[in-house]
Amino acid sequence: MSYHRITLKVNGSLEVVDISGNMTLLQMLREKLALTGTKNGCASGECGACTVLMNGDAVNSCMVLAAECDGAEIITVEGLAKNGEMDVVQKTLVDLGAVQCGFCTPGVLISARALLNRNPHPTEFEIRDALSGNLCRCTGYNRIVEAVKVAAEIEGQEGA
Amino acid sequence: MAIAQASTSSVVGKSVKRIDVQEKVTGAAQYTDDIAFGNALHHCRVKRSPHPHALIKKINYDKALLIPGVKLVVTGEDFPEYVGLYLQDRNIFARDRVRFVGEGVAAVVASTEEIAEKALDAIDVEYELLQPVLDPEFGASKEAPIIHPDLEKYEHPNFIFPVNGTNMANHFKIRKGDTEAAWPQCAAIVEHTFRIPQVQHVPIEPHVAIAKAEENGQVTLWASTQSPFAQRALLAKSLHIPESDFRVIAPLIGGGFGCKAGVTMEAIPVAAALKLKGVPIKLLLTREEEFYTNFVRQGLVIKLKVGCDKDGNLLAMENTMYWDGGAYTEYGVNVTRAGGYSSTGPYDIPNMRTDSICVYTNHPVGGAYRGFGMAELHTGVGQIMDMLADKIGMDRTEFHLRNCVRGGDVLATGMVIHEVGLPECIDKVARALKLGEKEAPSAPNKLRGKGIALAWKAPAMPPNAGSSALVKMNADGTVNVSVGGQELGQGTFTAMAQIAAESLGVPYEAVKVLGPIDTRYSPYEWQTVASRLTWSMGNAVRNAALDAKKKILDIVAEAWNEKPEDLDIKDGYVISYKTEESIEIKDFVVYGLPKADDQGWLGGPIVGAGSFMPTYVTGLDAETGQGERAVVHYTTGAQGLDIEIDKDTGRITVLYAASAFDVGKAINPDMVRQQMEGGFVQGLSSAMFEECQLVGGEMRNPSFVDYRIATAIDVPEKIDTFIVETAQDDGPFGARGIGEHPLVPVIAALANAIYDATGVRITNPPFSAEKIYMALLEAGVVN
Amino acid sequence: MHNPHPGLPELDYVKPASLEEASRFLVEHAGEARPFLGGTDCIVRIRDGAWTAKYMVDVKGLEGMKDLSFDPQKGLTIGAAVPMNKVAADPAVQQHYPGLVEACHWVASYQLRSRATIVGNICNASPAGDTIGASILYGGVLRVFGPQGFREVPLDGFFKGPGKTTLQPGDIAASISFPLSHPQHACRYLKLGRNKLGDLAIVGVTVMAVPARTPSGYHFGIVLASVAPVPLRAAAAEAILESKEIDEAVIAEAAQAAMDGCKPINDTRGGAAYRKQMVRNLTRNGLMDVWTKVRK
Repeated sequence: MSYHRITLKVNGSLEVVDISGNMTLLQMLREKLALTGTKNGCASGECGACTVLMNGDAVNSCMVLAAECDGAEIITVEGLAKNGEMDVVQKTLVDLGAVQCGFCTPGVLISARALLNRNPHPTEFEIRDALSGNLCRCTGYNRIVEAVKVAAEIEGQEGA
Repeated sequence: MAIAQASTSSVVGKSVKRIDVQEKVTGAAQYTDDIAFGNALHHCRVKRSPHPHALIKKINYDKALLIPGVKLVVTGEDFPEYVGLYLQDRNIFARDRVRFVGEGVAAVVASTEEIAEKALDAIDVEYELLQPVLDPEFGASKEAPIIHPDLEKYEHPNFIFPVNGTNMANHFKIRKGDTEAAWPQCAAIVEHTFRIPQVQHVPIEPHVAIAKAEENGQVTLWASTQSPFAQRALLAKSLHIPESDFRVIAPLIGGGFGCKAGVTMEAIPVAAALKLKGVPIKLLLTREEEFYTNFVRQGLVIKLKVGCDKDGNLLAMENTMYWDGGAYTEYGVNVTRAGGYSSTGPYDIPNMRTDSICVYTNHPVGGAYRGFGMAELHTGVGQIMDMLADKIGMDRTEFHLRNCVRGGDVLATGMVIHEVGLPECIDKVARALKLGEKEAPSAPNKLRGKGIALAWKAPAMPPNAGSSALVKMNADGTVNVSVGGQELGQGTFTAMAQIAAESLGVPYEAVKVLGPIDTRYSPYEWQTVASRLTWSMGNAVRNAALDAKKKILDIVAEAWNEKPEDLDIKDGYVISYKTEESIEIKDFVVYGLPKADDQGWLGGPIVGAGSFMPTYVTGLDAETGQGERAVVHYTTGAQGLDIEIDKDTGRITVLYAASAFDVGKAINPDMVRQQMEGGFVQGLSSAMFEECQLVGGEMRNPSFVDYRIATAIDVPEKIDTFIVETAQDDGPFGARGIGEHPLVPVIAALANAIYDATGVRITNPPFSAEKIYMALLEAGVVN
Repeated sequence: MHNPHPGLPELDYVKPASLEEASRFLVEHAGEARPFLGGTDCIVRIRDGAWTAKYMVDVKGLEGMKDLSFDPQKGLTIGAAVPMNKVAADPAVQQHYPGLVEACHWVASYQLRSRATIVGNICNASPAGDTIGASILYGGVLRVFGPQGFREVPLDGFFKGPGKTTLQPGDIAASISFPLSHPQHACRYLKLGRNKLGDLAIVGVTVMAVPARTPSGYHFGIVLASVAPVPLRAAAAEAILESKEIDEAVIAEAAQAAMDGCKPINDTRGGAAYRKQMVRNLTRNGLMDVWTKVRK
């Protein structure tokens, strides 16, 4: 097996990590960097619990090799809050009761953040479409969708 | 001042935010797999049976032990004792025979997961194949091979009735009135057989457990579990560990829905740890293993016959249920008992004959699943009631209203039911849906229809399942409440904080209920199942808070020379109704109160203790199912959907759904609604998509690729929920449970809507686009 | 018994500096090395044990692999490492190749499409590959680098069975090129999965109408997904449309021919009889859509 030393930026911090060739980005975040907010739900790119931002784009971190991440910039759920202030999608998920067991929540938050970054005024369909890769077994989804809608409105007002 | 303001406010009935939400949106919440164990951590993988039914002739693992990094291999030889919640029929590893595909026959412990995985290939197991039982009706017949020859030796409580010498692990009967005499009185009779497949719980967090045994005899298990105390009890007994030496730590869990109740895979690392002391050993299931090696919701074949008089009054029902219990029914036998005593559904039927039979098969192991048999039962009952209403020519809603249970009705078990708000629930859903009003579809190639179904469910548990709680006062006025019930996402920690704050008389913000549950420090709780915590643990918390309150008031009464009855606690202050004097409780609940003139002290640290156990549930006669009180209570409700079906593909779009449930008292209305919404969608997902495709005993779709669940795009954009409150006499503030119930009626309600839309009765879920289209094709609705 | 590894088995991650080096490595380790693009199939199959790669050869960084370029005269070129989301968000692709955009949108989830690529989708040769139909109908030609250097490989005849193509060890598909599309063309991809989005296709139908000297004034192309071991061209249906004036009856006749011309199988996702019906209905709906659109 091959071993690699990679340098990457995670939640704004520069990290140097030694990894093996078969290690996924998800495993590296959880096992090497103690960023356990990103969850492993299926290890096959289906459930979305491991979603992170990689160079600004939402990806399933179980479907990315750590070795590919040399030079990459990763944002996980732990990196959403800025200066102790929660991201607006974190706030609206709390306010609208869109969190139950919380296991899908980190991935949902990242998908929502990625959506609003690329499309600040999504339609209801666009929100549901963007979240369709994040399985949730507790909430029934509608409160999550509503929370993203409200987050977009708040950001729209702030931006105006 | 603060006291006057607080006296009018009440936190019970308020939608406060959930107590555990901040950590969950920041990634800080710690789940079991998130705990770091350092370099000592070892990993466990399981050698599994590829056969549904076979004798184990020989296991050779010599080669596995030679692989560098492999520390230990354990097999069934090492652990001869049984384990099980109700019927003790299961070993930790298969011993003489395997009974389902995926059953563990050995486990490897190694320094890494990869090495353990590799070592599995170096274990040779020699099998002698046996004929598998793949159908519950066949399994119950005389022709079927016997799966558990030792059934008669298995321990079980007195309310489970195995039939020795057969595959029937439980046969629950009701004989009430005389159905044979009733049939000739009926103006309409409908008979139908419904089949409901196995489904999986699909928590997004897979099962994970870490165990460590110490040289001094202490054993610790960290697990994603709904049942730390039940796991301690069952594993302690099976592995001969004193309960006092066995510690189960249960952090937050990423969804349970029943599959993390009782004991399943947690037994494996604990057993291994006993043979390799001093190191933590971890077993994390893959998503694929999650699908077929753990509890499934049992399959069911339900044969129903029901009749009514010319005015639509139900006269009789015969209900024969063959439950596909799977290879072991240690937990599942009680699902079939619950299916039995609730077998009428929420209907008043004078003549009832029920046979609820739990059958061993060589399928995945059946266990608890949100609803505990009720979704399967109601799939049949909820449809056949619509069929009978149509046959007698009565409006379906009117038929439900005429026949649904009401307070004072004598149920099929002989129990007299408490007041229930079911008629109000039906009314609310019918109005919200505009039931009976035919509405136009959105396009010419669509068919539109509406359906409703009712539900009831009682907490299914041993009659004496108990709860306890501790209320610990802090010197800054805050309060820690310790409980043994688990936060699954349902919000129980929040509801308990509300109950404690209200009962004690302190602000809600002052009360903390936090995990992890730790059997060493947390008070006892039977299990987090059965929608029983708000009610049972809520009673324990209320009792503990009242105990603390009494202790507080006694101190102040003595200090002020007043009677405790004249004192109260409001907003964190003890007040006297007589003298209007007040004192903030934080000033004395830890350090006590000084007596006058420095003549000593009163009081001391305040800890309130409370427990609750229902003492009034009675046994039921083995032959007739009759008894004084079969269950503690029933939560009832109704649910309906407005749907469209695409004639080109058969695909359903749910346009709107409404649910109404009588929760007694909503401690936190918004979280009650969250349960109604989430439960409905989980039920809808099972109704539209879900099925463990079992072929020759093997699950063909054990991954998210081919076991699809509903996503954000599949659910109705609008879901309305209605809370009905008919107080429960033995519930805290009148509350009863709601966690499972919203899932119970969905399949039947959807089936009824499909019929309303198409005129074609499709009875067996899942109602996939394919199944609907092919049925419409056969019926000539499409061509 | 489906029992994949918890994680990936031991393997080497290899990142060659040039196409030559990559190709040589793949030849030297034929059967043990895989070119690695988005990894969304690769990682799943290696974890499953379906593929036993010892080497994952990351070719994403090699020359031209990440480029997407549109030339108003020559057409579109999409590098093998360009993720589907980037393709779908590109204004030129949206304007000139809307069928490709629609097809991308039907693949799995957004986060998977951040990694999945069209060239990867084609080379993995799943009969259910969502973007294959549009790639065929837009006349896609792969540019493949092999031991003998670059060569062009049209998609006609490229697919040999589920997961099988004409690519040989050492071949690396570097990009796919599409000629300029006709401004008056119309293309649709109609997909039926179990969920509304995100599932693999039970049936997928790509249809295209392009102005031409035929009785109707249009050529029609139809490619079916998930009904044969390879993406299936509905030749009989195309022939009917080629020879007749178009109306609803002719479209129905063509749809029926598409249905009659395929022999799908039963699998966990759907039954053969249902699949045939869906081929007919989706082909009909797709043809109605493009026909309505081109006449506007």
